[in-house]
Amino acid sequence: MPAVSVHGLVRSYGQLRAVDGVSFEVDAGEVFALLGPNGAGKTTTIEILEGFRERDAGEVRVLGIDPGDRRSGRRLRSQLGVVLQELAVEPFLSVRQVLARNAGYYPAPRPVGEVIELIGLAEKADAKVKTLSGGQQRRLDVGLGIVGNPALLFLDEPTTGLDPAGRRTSWELVRRLAGEGTTVILTTHYMEEAEALADQVAIIASGKIVAHGPPASLGGRDQGAATIRFQLPAGVTPANLPVAVVGEGPSIELRTDRELEALYELTRWALEREVQLTGLTVSRHTLEDVYLQLTGADPDRFQTDSAAGAPVRE
Amino acid sequence: MSARTESILPSRSAMSELRLVVRQVGYEQLSFWLNPVGAIFTVGFSLLFLLLLGASAGSSRISYLHNIKLVQYYVPGFIAYGVMSASFNSLAITLVIRRETGLLKRLRLSPLPTWTLLTSILLSTLLIAFSQVVLMLAVGRWAFGVHLPSDASGIGALVVVLVVGGLSFAALGIAMSTFIPNQQAAGPVTSTVFFVLLFLSGLWFPLKSGSALAKISTFFPIRHFITAVFKTFSHPGSSAWSGHDLLIVVIWGVVGAVVALRRFQWAPHQT
Repeated sequence: MPAVSVHGLVRSYGQLRAVDGVSFEVDAGEVFALLGPNGAGKTTTIEILEGFRERDAGEVRVLGIDPGDRRSGRRLRSQLGVVLQELAVEPFLSVRQVLARNAGYYPAPRPVGEVIELIGLAEKADAKVKTLSGGQQRRLDVGLGIVGNPALLFLDEPTTGLDPAGRRTSWELVRRLAGEGTTVILTTHYMEEAEALADQVAIIASGKIVAHGPPASLGGRDQGAATIRFQLPAGVTPANLPVAVVGEGPSIELRTDRELEALYELTRWALEREVQLTGLTVSRHTLEDVYLQLTGADPDRFQTDSAAGAPVRE
Repeated sequence: MSARTESILPSRSAMSELRLVVRQVGYEQLSFWLNPVGAIFTVGFSLLFLLLLGASAGSSRISYLHNIKLVQYYVPGFIAYGVMSASFNSLAITLVIRRETGLLKRLRLSPLPTWTLLTSILLSTLLIAFSQVVLMLAVGRWAFGVHLPSDASGIGALVVVLVVGGLSFAALGIAMSTFIPNQQAAGPVTSTVFFVLLFLSGLWFPLKSGSALAKISTFFPIRHFITAVFKTFSHPGSSAWSGHDLLIVVIWGVVGAVVALRRFQWAPHQT
């Protein structure tokens, strides 16, 4: 049984269908990333899964429970962990007090000391929340998400505002939780984050899923033409190269769907002349290319209506 | 715990939910008192008000109210004020801040039952209100020599009036919070509404019956609440109970509760 299954999910705000027939499944222990511009329907979808918002139509099961059914709401919520975008912690309690308080809400919480270790706040355990740096508060937020020992963890942009080291630490934590069997659903604006963490990625735009699959093959990015890039060696003109290229130098680019042959020609030529092909790379579409192509080149064309959390098109 | 002891208890889940309420009230109080500057000024404001006005009143008497000492009016008046400021003013502001910072949404997404959370917030609010009441009773008795309710009827009436009033004004405070769009507006909006109503209700001076203000004030709950508290101080025996005033306070409380239940939002208005 999948941890989460969604079929034909619809939610409208007035005339606007914020979520318009979304379907996907997340297997237990999987890390699932939901990508999309602001107002595309990510937050609405996740809030419906959390049981925070009601749906208009569609079948939804989260850990075998219908999140729209209020009677089983508490049973569902005791198995969920949620990390919100807002930093939402009482400023005058200490890290340990906040975690201990929330641990008491759950039937089988993680030991508070273990959570403090996991989020790397051992030295700040007895400090008041308001004395923590932004990154430390963010980590405490994650700690509150996992203190209930959830089977399913929702992470809403978990590393926004973190420095690169903090981001790596958070990634390690997500990998560790997934390794222990926790199912993770995350939203993010960072393509490298989705690529590093997710087993499955879905891109959502205007309330519809426009691509869904493992990040390495999303939108057919493992197929089709490759791009070879390198710096033109000194004393060589593009016309001297054994392959047809774009650019006058020093940056040279060539697109081909026969990259093996092109590389062979290029490297044999370079070895014979004893020149370097500085910065040689071979790439297909990056996840970002696929994302921008599928969501429209300008992600800012969507704006969020703050009052209802509903997306509106300018 | 053996099966037999369990069977005489209400039910295991009811007990554990009661424990959750007690625990949550404990953390609410911790969160309040661990901010000593905020706590002292919240609790001390009404006391300071009473001290200043009580001292300036000296031995003045109110000719149109049985010629009682002015301070005999101020002590119950400011006890009512303290309860209202904790349960209407502070609660409304706190709820807006909690909603807008996402604290309410996070709690809503935890398995803590909603009634547990709301009960804890109300109990915690009453505790803070009553800590002010105790301080003002002491100051009234020892600093100003005011007659406090002393017989069982008077004390009982005072407790009932304060609890019922506290809950009613808390319901109005929750309702108020639903009309305030953001944190920055919470203080100014709530204080303006509160102080205008206080002025109309004769907190600083007893209203002469038949005056225009007295007529306006009979519509709102504050005057009735002050009167209900006042009567527990000055009227012995069963006349300490002012059923009519209490009823109007309760009606406002019910209206507040209905509005609060219909309009309450967990998620921030701003994103």
